[in-house]
Amino acid sequence: MRRLRILIWKEFRQLHNDPIAVRLMIFPVLVQMLVLGYAVTTEVRNTPITICDRSNTPQSRSLVGTIAGNALFVFKGMAATEEDVRARLDDGHARIGIVISPDFATAIGQGRAADIEMLVDGQDANSSNVAGGYVRAIVQGWAKQVYARKLEAQGLSIDDVLPARVQPVILFNPLLKSTWFMVPAMAVLLVTMVTALLTGFSIVREREAGTLEQLMVTPLESAELVIGKSIPFMLIGFVELCAVLLVAKVWFMIPFRGNYLTIFLFAFIYMFSSIGLGILVSSIARTPHQALYFTWFILIFFVLLSGFFLPLENMPHWIQQFTRINPLRYFMFAVREVFLKGSGIGELWREAAAMLVIGCVVYSMAMVSFKRRIG
Amino acid sequence: MPNTLSRIGAIMRKESLHIVRDPQTLFIVIAMPAVMMFIFGYAFTTDVRDVAVAVQDLSRSTESGAIVRSIDASTMFRVAAVEGPIADPLEYFRTNRVKAIVCIPSDFAAAIRRPGGAAVQVLVDGSDSNLGNMIRNAAEAAILDPLLRVLNITRPDPVLVHQHVLYNPHQRSAFFFVPGLMVLILSMMSALLTSVALVREKEMGTMAQLVVSPLHSFEIIAGKLVPFMILAAVDGALVLFIGRVAFGVQVSGSMLLLASVSVLYIVVMLSFGLLISSITNRQLHAMFIAIIVTLLPIIMLTGYVFPVASMPAPLRWLSATIPATYFLQIVRAIILKGVGADVLWMPISVLTVQAIILIAASIKRFRMVA
Repeated sequence: MRRLRILIWKEFRQLHNDPIAVRLMIFPVLVQMLVLGYAVTTEVRNTPITICDRSNTPQSRSLVGTIAGNALFVFKGMAATEEDVRARLDDGHARIGIVISPDFATAIGQGRAADIEMLVDGQDANSSNVAGGYVRAIVQGWAKQVYARKLEAQGLSIDDVLPARVQPVILFNPLLKSTWFMVPAMAVLLVTMVTALLTGFSIVREREAGTLEQLMVTPLESAELVIGKSIPFMLIGFVELCAVLLVAKVWFMIPFRGNYLTIFLFAFIYMFSSIGLGILVSSIARTPHQALYFTWFILIFFVLLSGFFLPLENMPHWIQQFTRINPLRYFMFAVREVFLKGSGIGELWREAAAMLVIGCVVYSMAMVSFKRRIG
Repeated sequence: MPNTLSRIGAIMRKESLHIVRDPQTLFIVIAMPAVMMFIFGYAFTTDVRDVAVAVQDLSRSTESGAIVRSIDASTMFRVAAVEGPIADPLEYFRTNRVKAIVCIPSDFAAAIRRPGGAAVQVLVDGSDSNLGNMIRNAAEAAILDPLLRVLNITRPDPVLVHQHVLYNPHQRSAFFFVPGLMVLILSMMSALLTSVALVREKEMGTMAQLVVSPLHSFEIIAGKLVPFMILAAVDGALVLFIGRVAFGVQVSGSMLLLASVSVLYIVVMLSFGLLISSITNRQLHAMFIAIIVTLLPIIMLTGYVFPVASMPAPLRWLSATIPATYFLQIVRAIILKGVGADVLWMPISVLTVQAIILIAASIKRFRMVA
């Protein structure tokens, strides 16, 4: 126990002696989180839109006004012809182009379905889909009003015609703010990067400086060395986690509905995987930048396949199976559930168990490879 | 002049030897883009399918049954459970992990035939804001349409919106991620590889040897950049090749323009890496800075994943300073739209200016270091 304490103390002294590394690890990442918390909006706003009104009647102008006045779009002016609409999309001045057919008003007057063509810039498939959905919702809302006015003239109301009213109620995140979903996830990324990379760095640095050999000839067991290396970085991980939770609460005003102990318990289990990964990679790699490349390579996959911004449910089955070995996935899910829904260990025991198993495997692999490396 | 060229050639040879003698790094440089392409190619889907929904059916009537069946049959939703009264919906969301609960009231069958109709509540798990939004938008049609069919009512639909998706008509996600991945991989590789190029010399003490040699600082920099440039270009070609062969993404514009803009961008990122290399003294610090300033900002601030137009103004300004933003615009436009330099002169000239500034800055910094 005493040896362990001395090792931990040594580790902190070493970090103290390389303040640049610590600063690099912590400040830019925190600043990025603050900035990127705003960047990761999945909402699609300010889409530039252009309209070609070939009908040019009071009805079509009313629709144009409704669309152009909507705050979700930036109206880029009327286009003269359909070719003009296409040209504006080609040169990127608009991302959505709408063409109202010449017989628009006649069709509405006769109760036939009127046609609108919508050209969507499909370069970014996701946001153009969302923006196209907004247009359809706006047009349908406008059509419903026209229809309701027509029914009113007959002394009816629209509710009498439709058999049911559907009332959506949004729970957990009533305003559907994407920061509420993304910022807790940033905590997970931060803890991962800091623990995996710092641990890896520290071992590589000792090897470069030749102090790893010195440690080996001391009576310390290799297990003690590994644990002594892990604890300081685990503590740093906890400090980072607290910092992010604080930023999420105070700056982004995201309600924390769960129990802090649950989050810390999950972080504790998770860090066996992330620190184990750092140790494992740095004991396999030959040079410091190899270690960094490998860690980084693995982290990219873990992040992309964690559900951070690409929902896992939509991925093909075999990729979903593959993500089961990704500890980040479970931690990411658990943090979001605890944060926004207030879930506890009772609901999340499966994630905890999976992380525990992965953590044990990675950490024991790290111990073995570390031992072989110095033995 | 021939003298200069042979000196640059000598530095190039030296730098190439460094690369070739480190096969693990070389392996990552080649394998990473390939593996990323395949994972992305299959993992990147933007369409939402089979969202788990629970139905709290208190009516248990033919009509409510029709709704359940229709929701289950739709591509977007699947019915995970049909329940009786749910006492605590919040707890139900936490334990059963459904994304929405459709609440059909007990007087449903009677109410739909009365004026005023029945009230159907849809509880949506909004924690994933994007998904929550999609569910909210799809809810009305998912419930009303089968009901109207059962009751034999034709729904008045006065305006039909016909959507035509340009540049990527089948909404294939490969068209979306291939250009972005090209930007990401070129940036990461160029910045990361050169970030250690000078620091290594500093750490090993060979920097002083280079400085006292008759080499001009421009020659050293050029000689160091060219091998990495070739390596990055190979990566770029690899992405395009896999994109074409495995995912059928063809370059619809000019290949020559794409290649020359890519070289321009590689120069920008390489000079950026050199700049990092000249301000740090340790390889690990240099690589870490390179990762921090390339990876997350390029994924998040350039419009690759999250649309720039939706961001707050300060972030849009920040995005406008990042070279990758312009390169992404250009690459997407050339690959997907097939437009030429006449339309793209703006982002290309911004990129050129950025290249000149970064080269000048890295040469200046290098002289200071020397």
